[in-house]
This record gives sequence, structure tokens and C-alpha cells, in this order.
Amino acid sequence: MAEISIQINGRKQSHQAEARTHLGDFIREKSRLTGTNLSCEHGVCGACTVLVDGRPVRSCITFAGACEGHEVRTVEGYDDDPIMLRLRSAFSEHHALQCGFCTPGMLATSRDIVLRLPEADEARVRIELSGNICRCTGYQGITAAILSVLQALREQPDDQVQALRAAVVQHVQQDWTQGGFVTFEADQEEVSTVESVAADAGSGEKGKGQAIQGGFDAGFPAAQVWAFMTDLPQVAACLPGAVIESQEGASVQGKIAIKFGPMSAAFKGHATLERDEAHRTAVLRGEGVDSLSQSRARGDVQYQVTAQGETGSRVSVELVYALQGPLAQFSRSGLVQDFVRRMIAEFGKNVNLRLEKPLAQGEQPAVAQFNPVRMFFSILWDRFKGFFRRS
Amino acid sequence: MKAAKFDYERAVSLQQIQDALAGEPGGVRLMGGSQSLGPMLNLRLVRPERVLDVSAVPELQQVSTVNAQVRIGAAVTHAQIEDGLHEALRGHMMQKVAGRIAYRGVRNRGTLGGSLAHADPAADWVLTCVALGARVNVRGSGGTRSVPMADFMVAAYTTVLEAGEFIESVDVPAVSATARWGYYKFTRKVGEFADASCACYFDPATRTARVVIGAMDGAPRFLPELAAKVAAHGAAALAGDTIAAALQPILAQRDPAHQELFRTVVERSLQQALGLKG
Repeated sequence: MAEISIQINGRKQSHQAEARTHLGDFIREKSRLTGTNLSCEHGVCGACTVLVDGRPVRSCITFAGACEGHEVRTVEGYDDDPIMLRLRSAFSEHHALQCGFCTPGMLATSRDIVLRLPEADEARVRIELSGNICRCTGYQGITAAILSVLQALREQPDDQVQALRAAVVQHVQQDWTQGGFVTFEADQEEVSTVESVAADAGSGEKGKGQAIQGGFDAGFPAAQVWAFMTDLPQVAACLPGAVIESQEGASVQGKIAIKFGPMSAAFKGHATLERDEAHRTAVLRGEGVDSLSQSRARGDVQYQVTAQGETGSRVSVELVYALQGPLAQFSRSGLVQDFVRRMIAEFGKNVNLRLEKPLAQGEQPAVAQFNPVRMFFSILWDRFKGFFRRS
Repeated sequence: MKAAKFDYERAVSLQQIQDALAGEPGGVRLMGGSQSLGPMLNLRLVRPERVLDVSAVPELQQVSTVNAQVRIGAAVTHAQIEDGLHEALRGHMMQKVAGRIAYRGVRNRGTLGGSLAHADPAADWVLTCVALGARVNVRGSGGTRSVPMADFMVAAYTTVLEAGEFIESVDVPAVSATARWGYYKFTRKVGEFADASCACYFDPATRTARVVIGAMDGAPRFLPELAAKVAAHGAAALAGDTIAAALQPILAQRDPAHQELFRTVVERSLQQALGLKG
């Protein structure tokens, strides 16, 4: 806890707050200004938008500590604002206010549009409003309200609004359509980008989620690989980050730790293995929850072992998965595909290693060393030294 | 959700950042405008012990021009670039790109350095800076080094920044009368992360030609042969299936719809540079 002081609606507000307190909570819970609404709390919906130094800012992803020394204005503090005066009646006239939840944030953004973009047309207004979500879908009315204020100000300029607009420093790029293109012979630059990993995977939508196919070759006869691949503790020991806590027949309880760039999660849950001996096909069905982020994952890993000659075999793997919760926000399909691809490659490597050097009688398999960095970016290993850092 | 507990401190000088990183290289996370880190903290996907806010450090907010290069401080915000606050960036490709990053509420706080350090594959600055041939000026305990942007991001959310290092500024070419460029991205809705994006930059004065695609699995990817062809033949280079062929080696594994998205962003980006279409 520390004392945080912020000027809100012209009054200095000093409260004891934790460093992790975001501006939205500071406004609502410390200063008791509950007109500002919080909804998604990760910067997507725009409901919590307030003005900081006169500019709209999402108060849920702006920390209170970062606002010390700055001027905050909330919906409670617009009384004497000439633009808000017009917006208030326009919102009412154009039925731009339904349940009212998004309205404080909509007003903050609307004020910015009226202030900064006097010539905005409907398309531009909609683009500028796109970061504020209205669950009543009242966009038509909100857009009409803003357009009516802009129109009125164009027809009859208001001195007070003009003064506010004059104070905004802005050099709008008037026309960026460029002149003719002159051909030339380009210098061949050395393109030093990272080569893509030999992609042994495809992806697509499938029934209950995203599907990713992949596979690996094993330098052992199919029967031997199949026997190994249906031994759950053995399989788990080859899966980076996986730990089996208990097993009952074909069902296991356990957890798997994953790390994805700066993010990490540990899914705890259960899985069952269904086997089809005749086709050497198995499906591992699992689901789990990451207790820290409350993300849920569900997935089926289907694999088939096929013989390749006398001494080799191919393990084809298909993962169908669905993610819910916070982690899903950052798991765009391309990224997950990349992750799974490397996971399968690492798994295949471990399976081969283990088949080469089987466990002695009674020996327990160790947890596969989880080195997400090596796994995820093995190809970049020598170039990669630091960890994620942002400024 | 609320962020897990962390200690917050606001830096006022470069030295303070350097000292904090040197003292606790693993436990401190730098925060610019908190527009990428903020959501991750709130979702508890990132749980640092200490956060050092670098957005108020004066040196990181400066913009200057040296030898036809504009040096942009890491804490300069997207909105400042969009508004042409700094003369050196008025009419620059950066100004055009800035105006379509996320939403104005995000642009008012999000910073150039923060976005590059976050290294999201779909980020606008990552792609633009690669196309511009930017250099990232990195400061660490051993002094400073300059990293070409093409080498800076190595994979999704991963850069070459080592423990103890941070981005001080970024150098991009100054506005050039001869330069032509394009930028096009597909998003599900305005302001969202791109599903496919392409930036291109041509300047006969420096004989530079770059076509780069973003929103991939990792770092942006160059299409050097396509860039050279367009430089040499202009619009004629786009005849037939030139673009699709150039993308083929990179996108072979993607589904046809995705390939079409990328073909289209490359085409539209090049059309802008060629002056055919806004």
C-alpha cells in the first residue's frame, strides 16, 4: 500500500492503494466516483474510458500510480464542458442511451471525436467509436448523436468549443496518396530473417475447436512404438512439462505446464486414453484448468502408428483443442500452431530417445525436462539469449 | 480480473532504468504505456514482482533528426506520431500507420518502444519498422548497441533483448520525396489484431525496395524477389500470379482462405506504393 494522489474532476484525491490498483478501481472504489463502469478489464470494451489530460484513456489497463501528476476527468466532472453539454442533449434526442452502461465511456470517446475531428463523416465516426462496445447495440443512435453535434458546430461555430479545439496540437496528414512510381534497380539487401521451421503441420477448424495435424518418425518397428505409445506414464514423461499425479486404468490425473512468450500457465486436470489395437490408433481426451488465470483447455490428441518398412514407423498426431478464458485472448491460431508443432517435434524426439534407452525394471520415468524456450524456439537458440522484456 | 501483486516504481532517468535492470535482471518488468502489459497483468498471464514505469523518462520522449534518420524515443506514443506532434514525422509512413493502431484510447498511452519490445507478430510497428529498415537502439549495462529491426524480433513475443537491456530509441529514415510506401492489414473489426498484413517501402534515391508480411506465426517475413521486381518494373510486375507465387514458399501450409488474405494485403499494399489506389 502506498499513498496515491491524482487530480480527479478538479479535486485532489489522495488514497492508500496498492500498486496493482488500476485507474478504474481507484476512481470507483477509492474516490467513490461510480459513474465510470468497468467491464472487460483488459482494454477491449472501452466501457471504462475516462479522460486523462483531456484525452480518452482506458482506465482498466492504466495503473493509478502511473496517473500521479496527471489530470483525470470522469463522467461526474463534465458539467461545465461545452462539448459535453451538446453531447448530452444529442444522446438524449437520438436515443443514444439505452441501459446506460457504456454511456460514460461512449461520451468520453464522443467528446474526443467532436474535439479532434470537426469534419468527421459517418464512416470516420464509426471507426473512431470502434473501441467502445455497446451491449444494447445502440451504435446507430450514438453515431447519429455525434454527427448531429458535429453538424451543428459546423453550421454555427461555438466560441467555447473553438477555443478547446484550438488548444489541440494536431497536424493531420492531409493527403497521403502518393505521386507516380519511378522504377529503379534495387540493391539486394541481405535478408537476415529467421527461416521458418520445416512445417510438418497443418491446421483448420474442426467440430469442437481448432485442429492441428503433425507427426514424427520413429526409428523403431511399429509394434514396439505402439506398445510404448499406449503406456500413459511413458507417454506423459515424453511430453514437455507434463506430470502424471495418479493413474487408474486408462484414466490419469495430472498437470501440464506451458510457457508461451511472456505467458505461462499450468493446466491441472484429467485425461483418458482410448485404444484401438487393430488400427494402432489411440485418442487421449483431456481437459484442465489453469488455476492462476482461470483459463480452461480441452483437447483430444489422436495418434496413429503406422509401419514404415521393417524397422521404422510413423506417428501421425492430430490435436483438436478448445481454449477458454484469458489465455484464449492471446492464442491466435497461427501462434498456437507454431507452439504445437514444436511440442510435437520435441515429443517425438523424446519418444525416440526413450525407445533407444528403455527404462530398467522398476525405474520410474522422469518428467521430461521442460525447456519451453528451447522447445519453442529451438532453431533460434544460438541467437536467442535474453528473455522477453518490454518497455 | 485484477493483476497479481507487484511493486510499482516510476523511472525518471535512463540511469534509473539501467540500475533497476542490473540489480534484478529477472524480477523487473519495464512498462511503457501499459497497453499490452496491462491486459496481460490483469489476466494474470504475467506476474512480475516489480514493474518499472519508463513512460515518463524525458530522454525516451525525444524525437530528433540526424543524417536523414529520425531518432524516435521509445516512450513516444502512437497518438503523438499520429498527430504529427514531432515535425520530423509529419507526412511520414509512421504517421499514416499510427492512426490505425488499435483505438485512440489505446494510442494515447501505447508507446513505440513498448510495442516493439512486446513483439506481437500482428503488431503494426513491428512490421512497419522492418519495412522501413529501422534500427533499434538498445541500452544495457555494457553501453548501447544498434540492432537492425529485421534481426530484433526473433519469434512471437521474443526479441534479442538480453537481461539488463531495454530499448532507448528507434531510427527510421526521414521523410523522403522519392520514397513510396504502402501498408494494408485485414482485421476482424477496426482496431483488432491483424489476420494478415503487408508493408512495403521503395526509395529509388537509396535503391531500397522492401515488401514484408506480418501477422505470421513469428517475425515478419520478407518477399525480396517480389520487391526487386516491383522496383524494376512497377505495376507491370504484378501481372498474373506474381504475388501468389512469391507467397507460395511461406504460406504453402496455410489454408486457401489465408493464402488469399495474404495475397490481397500484399496486392493492396503494393497498389498504394504504386499510386494506383489509396
